[in-house]
Amino acid sequence: MLELRGTRIAYREVEVVHGVDLRIAPGEVVGMVGPNGAGKSSVLRAICGLLRPSDGEISFGGRTLNGMAPEQIARLGVALVPEGRQVFRTLTVAENLRLGAWSTAEGEAAIGRALERFPILRERGGEHADRLSGGERQQLAIARALLGRPRLLILDEPSLGLGPKTIDTIYELLGELREEGTTMLLVEQNAVRTIDFCDRCLVLSGGRVRAEGKPEELRGDFDLVRAYLGGRVERQSSNGGWGR
Amino acid sequence: MTALGQNLIDALALGSLYALIALGITLVYTVMGMMNFAHGEFIMLSAYALYALAGAPFGIALGGALITGALIAIVAERVAFRPVRKADMSTQLVTSLAVATILQNAVMGAADARPKSVATPSFVSETTQLGSLSVPNLEFITLGLTALVLAGLGWLLYRTRAGLAMRAAAENFDMARLLGIRADRVIALSFAISGALAALVGVLLVMQTGQVSPTMGLTPVLVGFVAVTIGGFGRMLGAVIGGLFLGAASSLLGAYLPADLLPFRDAFVFSLPVAILIFKPQGLLGAATGEARV
Amino acid sequence: MSAVRLRSRPSLAVSALAPLVLIALTVAVGTSGTPSLRGTVTTILCEMIVVLGLQVFIGNSGVYSFGQLGFASAGAYAAALLTLPAAFVALQTPGLPDVIAEAQLGTVGSTAVAAVACGVLAAIVGLPLMRTSTLAIPISTFAFLVVAYNVIGNWDRVTGGSGGLVSIPRTTGLVSAGLWAAAAATVALAYKWSTRGYRLQATREDEVAARSLGIGVTGERLIAFALSGMLCGVGGALAVHQSGVLAPTTFYFVASVTTLTMLVAGGARSVFGAVLGTIAVASVNELLRGVEGGDEILGLFSIGNTPGLAAIGVGLILLATMVALPAGLTGGREAGELHRLGRLRGRRRAADRAAASVTAPRGGEKHVAAVEAPVKRDGALRAHGIAVAFGGLRVLRGVDLTLRPGEALGLIGPNGAGKTTLVNVLSGFLEPDAGTVELDGVDVSGSSPFRLARAGLTRTFQGALPFPQLSCLESVAVGAMGVGDRRGRAVACAGEILGRLGLSGRATRPAASLPPAEQRLLGVARALATRPRYLLLDEPAAGLNEAEGEELVTILREVLESFGCGILLIEHEMSVVMSLCPRVQVLDDGVTLRLGTPGEIQADPSVIEAYLGHSYLEPANA
Repeated sequence: MLELRGTRIAYREVEVVHGVDLRIAPGEVVGMVGPNGAGKSSVLRAICGLLRPSDGEISFGGRTLNGMAPEQIARLGVALVPEGRQVFRTLTVAENLRLGAWSTAEGEAAIGRALERFPILRERGGEHADRLSGGERQQLAIARALLGRPRLLILDEPSLGLGPKTIDTIYELLGELREEGTTMLLVEQNAVRTIDFCDRCLVLSGGRVRAEGKPEELRGDFDLVRAYLGGRVERQSSNGGWGR
Repeated sequence: MTALGQNLIDALALGSLYALIALGITLVYTVMGMMNFAHGEFIMLSAYALYALAGAPFGIALGGALITGALIAIVAERVAFRPVRKADMSTQLVTSLAVATILQNAVMGAADARPKSVATPSFVSETTQLGSLSVPNLEFITLGLTALVLAGLGWLLYRTRAGLAMRAAAENFDMARLLGIRADRVIALSFAISGALAALVGVLLVMQTGQVSPTMGLTPVLVGFVAVTIGGFGRMLGAVIGGLFLGAASSLLGAYLPADLLPFRDAFVFSLPVAILIFKPQGLLGAATGEARV
Repeated sequence: MSAVRLRSRPSLAVSALAPLVLIALTVAVGTSGTPSLRGTVTTILCEMIVVLGLQVFIGNSGVYSFGQLGFASAGAYAAALLTLPAAFVALQTPGLPDVIAEAQLGTVGSTAVAAVACGVLAAIVGLPLMRTSTLAIPISTFAFLVVAYNVIGNWDRVTGGSGGLVSIPRTTGLVSAGLWAAAAATVALAYKWSTRGYRLQATREDEVAARSLGIGVTGERLIAFALSGMLCGVGGALAVHQSGVLAPTTFYFVASVTTLTMLVAGGARSVFGAVLGTIAVASVNELLRGVEGGDEILGLFSIGNTPGLAAIGVGLILLATMVALPAGLTGGREAGELHRLGRLRGRRRAADRAAASVTAPRGGEKHVAAVEAPVKRDGALRAHGIAVAFGGLRVLRGVDLTLRPGEALGLIGPNGAGKTTLVNVLSGFLEPDAGTVELDGVDVSGSSPFRLARAGLTRTFQGALPFPQLSCLESVAVGAMGVGDRRGRAVACAGEILGRLGLSGRATRPAASLPPAEQRLLGVARALATRPRYLLLDEPAAGLNEAEGEELVTILREVLESFGCGILLIEHEMSVVMSLCPRVQVLDDGVTLRLGTPGEIQADPSVIEAYLGHSYLEPANA
């Protein structure tokens, strides 16, 4: 459904992403992990149309996204839950949700269904979004994104700044979404959780894909540990069939 | 006491006029982050539209002015401001300065630099008795119009879909786009409304002075800028308060300054904002919560 | 060791002479033509002086002021009143004090008095205005213009009111105008490249970083504002002695737009640009004005009478410049720097890569006095119980930190743990809700970044480009100027630091043209120029690859040894932190999770939990 081929992104004359390939099939849940500055957010912004890649094609459902305006891409069914949630703080919860259903013909009924799923939001419906806690805002951002009935849901660091228990709640929710067949691209700094959760995961570092594979392939990989904790770690023979 | 009452109403009326100007400027500022110097020329051109339609029934002339204001604003946005949409505020300000110069001199070339008189409906220059006060009808009109505009804007922004889009775009432009809101349309709408507000101001000014001239937009736009600055950038309420404050100050100074200082009234009025800014650099209400970027 | 220079001698000569050459050419054109051409050229030269006045403030501060022509007006009136023959004084300005009325100064005298008066006026007006926020200055200066117009226009007995003054002696000659213009250009350039000028330019490039280097933004702007007012006053004075008439509208809105266009079209940051822009726009203006009365163009078609055509033309030039060429014809460069226009695009080339290999000089080199950290006392940077809350969100909940000179402390933790907030508190950008910060035993809680820089604490910023439009040497030298060095010493210090960090080859290149790894180094270099005892580095390795990260570690080790400062390193790149820092402090959710050696940290399960989510490493793999 989503395909990136050889995507390069430059920021202020300097290349930060040096050729990334990515493929997501409908119903898949794919993760992207890596240290800060690895280029993960840049890739997401390029997919959503906020950045123009300097090279490489991005296609969605067969259509080329390069050069499209963000609002066009959103209407094609790509929904982003951005880093830091970015709910509209001066608007109420209900208004935020209404904006989520903006590009669809969905009306109050859909919003009602959303509030069923997120009871907390129903309670706080009339309040301004800046009164919500971090976890509640994350739920709001996800609910808002879901209201657009997206074909692809992209989440940029959903666990950022949230406590462990809240993260559990969020990931339970994501699990439910996965059961329902929602296609997702999940970007996290918190590697282990993501690797365990996704069908497939990419490790990005320094603007390149360093590793890619299923959870069991990546688990216990010492290159990954090295990428995170540095220092000298003894290499053991790797299990998976892939290498650097 | 009567004199005080009279002066207060005058102050309120002038303040309302200034508030209308400030609102028009703020509307564009909240969505685009740009202080539009050409707003004065939107006022001026609408006034000239009124002048051109002077023979027609007042309703038509008024409609013509409103349409002119909105149209000019939309065209200016499309042609001159869209290319600098991503530039910093100073560049945008200077761009609007360029547009203002072009528009002003175009009118000077097409019409001419001399003021032209416009016939206004007679009831406008009459006064009505209100108890012991004798209030010019124009002031009633101004106050009434301002109240209508505030109510209308409030309804637009808080009860309509378009208004929701505008508020969302004002807070976080990129996020709004990511939800499918068409950026271009939101901005065009803001400019159109801003232009219509400018037209209203233009009409009121014509009724007040009975004439139009190519340079009539300069003082209003400056007043609007200063009002927005002291009210706090980006806040509608701030614009209104700033406008009321400036109008009240101007009117009251006009009434109470000693005769030989009277010609310097403008100097006093425009020095006040500086004093305010020193103590409250972000304006009386403080700037609006900063725009977030995705 | 050869003296370090901010720019090569040829470049300096070209930059200094180019404006003068242009002015001389302009004068030459004037002398060769009809008397009316002479008059026009003289007027243009007077305008040029006003534009140079604009350049001094707007170009160096990056802030637009729309009020400078108020000073031109004031200067014009002052000069006119000082030279008006007695008979006319009685007629036009009966309210003038006798002292002024009877003074009959010549052109030079009246211009000089006007200059001083305007400088003082600008300083007084600027005092409140410069304290307003950067957004408000354009508007408040515009308000000043209106106030000036209003006062001058209504003070009938002194200024002749809205009718203005006539019969002012027409004593400005073409050559003398040229000389004044040349002097103004030289003054503008000398200011731009002086210590003060550099400090102001730093605020233009990056206001926040400039503050952190010890630069007082308001003060620097005020100085430029006063100097600008002075030059505008000179321009106004000379102009009025060329035309012989003066009205409040002479130096008001139209003139403001025209002179602004001249500056911007040429390139606001450049003195050469100001001169070039004036000539270019004035030529177009004259051309169009000639056509305004109706004319034939190239014998092909004719235009009817169109007043205002020239002004529209100027407006179009301004619009086109803003949209297509915001940096003006010169791109903001002086004449001696124009060849670098192409090099701003910093693509890596093979030659650059080779030159980029970093070799820090080995020991045995004598430390140059300019660079040493201040005399070592026993001291430390100590933070106790720092707590910060944003709204209801508690970002820091009681954090302690100790940093000693000569040691490196790593600060790590997941996003949102509070690291950057802590650094903001330590560097004076944020006041904590609770807790204290002590610098060498002195309580500095709540001090501004400005004071902290001068007390020996400097920080860098995440991902910030170090002063993109300045050269590398200039960028680093500004750091030293921030803490009070004069230019000569600052440049020597900067040269030394660049040498230590292996960036000497880059000295005269624009900072923006460097590859990102070197830009980080440049940021560190600039911070080092403030001779800190405590250096806070905010993610210097972000986005660097492994090799670059290792180079950074080598350099930072060298910095610890030879500069003797303490380094607090906030980083996510573990390889960098673990190899440089003997002590590492882990922050999570607003509190210190662990403080220990890299080995201890790497093996600590709670750290792994905080970073990686849940127990990841099997016990056998530690």
